[in-house]
Amino acid sequence: MLDIRGLTVRYSGLPVLKDINLTLEKGESLSIIGESGAGKTTLGLSVMGLVEGCCEGEILFQGKNLLSLKEEEIRRLRGREMAMVFQGVEGALHPLYTALDQVAEAIAVHSRKDAGSIRKKALGLLLSAGLDETTACFYPHQLSGGLKQRALIAMALANSPEILILDEPTASLDAGTKAEILALLNKLAGDRITIMITHDIHSAAYFSDRVAVLYGGRLIEQGPTGEVFKSPLHPYTRGLIRSCPDLSTTKDLQGIPGRMMPGVTGCSFHPRCTQRIHLCSLDIPEPVVTGGRLVACHRGGIVPLLEIKKLSKIFGKVKAVREVDLTLYQGETLALVGESGSGKTTLARTVMGLLKEDGGEFCLEGANISKRDAFFYQRVQMIFQNPMESISHRMNVLQAVREPLDINRPGDEEANNHLVRKALDEVELPGDQYFLNKYPHHLSGGEAQRVAIARALVLEPRVLIADEPTSALDASIQAKIIKLMLSLQEKRGLAILLITHDIALARKVSDRMAVMLKGSIVEEGPAGKLLGSPRHQYTRLLVNQSESPAKSMIL
Amino acid sequence: MHINYWGEIKRDSLGRAGMGTLVVLALLAIGAPIVSQYQPAEYTGAIFQPPSSQYWLGTNDVGQDIWAQLLYGARTSLLIGSGAALLSTFFSVLAGGMAAVLGGFGDRVLMRAVDALIAVPPVIVAILAAAYFRPGASMLIILLSAFLWPGGARLIRSQALSVKERMHIAAARTFGSSWPYLIRRHIIPDLGPVLTAILVLNFRRAVFMEAGLSFLGVADPTVISWGKMMQQALKFSYLEVWKWWLLPAGAALSMTIAALTFTGFALEKAINPRLKK
Repeated sequence: MLDIRGLTVRYSGLPVLKDINLTLEKGESLSIIGESGAGKTTLGLSVMGLVEGCCEGEILFQGKNLLSLKEEEIRRLRGREMAMVFQGVEGALHPLYTALDQVAEAIAVHSRKDAGSIRKKALGLLLSAGLDETTACFYPHQLSGGLKQRALIAMALANSPEILILDEPTASLDAGTKAEILALLNKLAGDRITIMITHDIHSAAYFSDRVAVLYGGRLIEQGPTGEVFKSPLHPYTRGLIRSCPDLSTTKDLQGIPGRMMPGVTGCSFHPRCTQRIHLCSLDIPEPVVTGGRLVACHRGGIVPLLEIKKLSKIFGKVKAVREVDLTLYQGETLALVGESGSGKTTLARTVMGLLKEDGGEFCLEGANISKRDAFFYQRVQMIFQNPMESISHRMNVLQAVREPLDINRPGDEEANNHLVRKALDEVELPGDQYFLNKYPHHLSGGEAQRVAIARALVLEPRVLIADEPTSALDASIQAKIIKLMLSLQEKRGLAILLITHDIALARKVSDRMAVMLKGSIVEEGPAGKLLGSPRHQYTRLLVNQSESPAKSMIL
Repeated sequence: MHINYWGEIKRDSLGRAGMGTLVVLALLAIGAPIVSQYQPAEYTGAIFQPPSSQYWLGTNDVGQDIWAQLLYGARTSLLIGSGAALLSTFFSVLAGGMAAVLGGFGDRVLMRAVDALIAVPPVIVAILAAAYFRPGASMLIILLSAFLWPGGARLIRSQALSVKERMHIAAARTFGSSWPYLIRRHIIPDLGPVLTAILVLNFRRAVFMEAGLSFLGVADPTVISWGKMMQQALKFSYLEVWKWWLLPAGAALSMTIAALTFTGFALEKAINPRLKK
């Protein structure tokens, strides 16, 4: 059992790892993920006793605190009880010795057996690592990258260590070799404690039982691999997952705004976090364990912004919306798809208070909303289908975009005008006097929808309900508007409820999808999964209908 | 859709004629003391004079200058007409707007009241009411408005209902705007053209009704009015002089009503693009 308690590592006074707590049972594999500079390698090195900084805390292994051992004692453990495969296959092998010699040397350091049996054992190791008799006797420059990595793994396993630390074992390998190396590692891991340091979440997902996410030297999330990747709790983890597409990913790539900065007070992620509150810049969040998962966030992880519970809306005898439950999380897109007349727009209008609900309730940021007031409208905004109709033809751009401010914060006209220009800049429209004085009928469809988006954004809402925002626009403009909305989501962490009948569009935009039929949600789930293997027959029908016959003729 | 109503009316020849006539009439009414050398009630001494350079349209049975009477009569007509138009349109907006905003039961009550009022024959009741109240100018305006508002209220209600559902109003509601704000900034401006049309229509009807009532002699006898002029002229139909007395008043009244009708036509064409050729 490996137990890391309160580990803090400083390089010349600057902390690189801060208060790391990790426990690994025998046979367990853990992946440490995070971006470069997060402190992943330092964590591996400190377990190996190779770190060149000053360490505090305890690393308990076999009842001993590795940090308090003398150099000689830890040298004896290194290579025998714990081994590390270093990052980068190029520099790690000695160019003047063959692979076999080098593995034999690693055994010989900790063994008193005769040279012949050592070489035999070394050859056995190399063979099990995937080299053959010929390649085993090659010099490093004769080996391919994949074979070098295999040789390094064989070397690390020379004395069958208890702890195996793999630092980016697959970083520079092509996809095929990567898969082979990962399969090999899985086979060889056995009942060792394996720690894989990686920035590649697919390797982590394939290889490990558990995942720990490291950011700015702190563990911010930890839990069983499947759960962490399926429903990340920390916004950073979600950002990492969104940055790494796989073949089932449907949504466009989205990054994390900003970059990692050292010496941040409070939560180390807060300068880049889109759901930060004032507390985040002051206090370091304590890791909280819930249901076997750990997350360090003042807001308890990604916040459910808008919760719709058992919402119903009845028009006479028609039940337009029947007991719909939906939750919209911070920074995500939830696409609501369905044919026309399925109640999508009614749902949106009821949420916005344009129609009175006949049952159900809403929660906004956890608070129950009984009536729509300024509090609600400053956080939830809507974009309508047709921008030409949703902007009064009697208002110019300035008046239209300023209208929400005039209603909510009347008075300081100069400050409001400044906000208007800022909002226009965000939707990539000019803020000059000429444009501000234009009327809707002077604008193109795309420009008008941008103005409508700027108007919705000027109050800095957290939730944006977009009701068919592009159905009145032509295809090239649709693409621009959708990209704009996604970039705003990336920058500001907007939660978007996208209402559309266009499944192909929803697929590119949404994290999750909900399918609506006759006023009820019949299926809901991650977009890739829902479209990949639709369960409800109506979803299957929609997917089939969306597979355009024209396209199959072109391709 | 953005429509430049003013431009539309200017482009329409009927509309131009109507507006021009109205402007001339209004200028004459306002400038009456300058354009005429006599006061309408002033006795010039000469009765039944034919038109001459001294008395442009002659004099009446007691020697008052008919041209002066005609000008001051325009004042009465325009004043009562515009007053009644404004007041009745105000009532229409109030009732129609309320019916549209309230909906449901309130809507039904208001609209049935409007139906009932429209069914009442206005002239008979107006005569009775006028005979009973002996109304002065302000009382007459109120009385006429009471008959004029129901028609407008119906129009306003139907328009307000459609305007209420417009997308930019829904958008304004999602910014958290209050109903007074919506009515002030969105609904009334959107109703603008319809309101103007109703104003013009009510103006026309009010001018006509005022003339009718004073012709029947139930209005204030001290007020100079085209209706009263015609009624008095007809008493002297056995003499030759009546035409200098009756015809100008009748022509002026017809012209005013025609001008208002033309303006109304032009407006309607501007509002309803389907009427365009």
